[in-house]
Amino acid sequence: MNKRPLVALPLLFALLTGCAVNETATVTVDGDTTTQVLESNSGFLSASLEITETKVGSAGDLMKVQATLKNASRSELSFRYKFKWLDKDGFEIAVDGRPWTPLTITPYESKSVQATAPNPTAKAFRIMVQD
Amino acid sequence: MQTFKIASVILFSLFLSACASGPKVTYGDATAVETTTTGFGSTDLQTIAATLVDDLLTFPPIVQMTAERRPVVFVDKIKNKTTEHIDTESITDSIQTKLLKSGKFRFVDMTAVKAIQEQLNFQMDSGMVDPAKAVAFGKQTGAEFMLYGNMSSIVKRNDSTKDVYYKFTLKMVNLESGIMEWAGEKEIRKTGEKQFFSL
Repeated sequence: MNKRPLVALPLLFALLTGCAVNETATVTVDGDTTTQVLESNSGFLSASLEITETKVGSAGDLMKVQATLKNASRSELSFRYKFKWLDKDGFEIAVDGRPWTPLTITPYESKSVQATAPNPTAKAFRIMVQD
Repeated sequence: MQTFKIASVILFSLFLSACASGPKVTYGDATAVETTTTGFGSTDLQTIAATLVDDLLTFPPIVQMTAERRPVVFVDKIKNKTTEHIDTESITDSIQTKLLKSGKFRFVDMTAVKAIQEQLNFQMDSGMVDPAKAVAFGKQTGAEFMLYGNMSSIVKRNDSTKDVYYKFTLKMVNLESGIMEWAGEKEIRKTGEKQFFSL
């Protein structure tokens, strides 16, 4: 009897029930000095997705931010992103205030995502990208 | 013997894949993307609330109006025109909470009117509360604006695909003048495809 099915069967089960791998990229912008720190774990997303630009503005006394994400790969990328907000001391405010938002970018396309701070105490933001 | 080997391999495979099945209970991220079905879900609710609150708080006339004062708003019901049962009050609750926490708006809660009235009657009529410390009638603040809206959906399907389009519209009207001061929309498209392997 051909033994290939015996080898293929566990592989098939492993594929069907495979657990997702998470990659996270983080950009932090401080209100006055606008420093940008890019932290990316090695993996699929960090090789193909770039956070090319971050902008900070205001709507009244609320911080308004934008991040431009570029798909630098030849294939379509589907991932999720989330904004987090920090006060002047680095404490996160409105924890879990924003959801992970799904986004798809076609090859070599850039897309901008925006968010507004939950209240005037926000002085920095962080955008996280996860596959 | 051969049957025994195949059965062993299947059992071993099931053992390896046990992390994805079985009655194990775990806590997850409440803000994670949820794609269990094409029906209205937590990600849709959270996305609608976040988008519309951002839109309202950055609309220039609203920014100007809320720069010096915190207008009082009341939230009316959202008409659910979809074919699903959707708790639209949960969506407006999230929106109301975010707006309140922004420090830009204040709200009168029409869902608590009866309870407030009962408490005021208790303070005034029960004889148990010191009249000097009882809350006075007729001192409440009236709402200046009303938030209301609609939720609709278009569902299309064929043998293999189901496409659901949701549109959530929220409007803010000035109760005195009747002028609509702001309106925001959030559209969501979800597509579900039948999988060849569906466990």
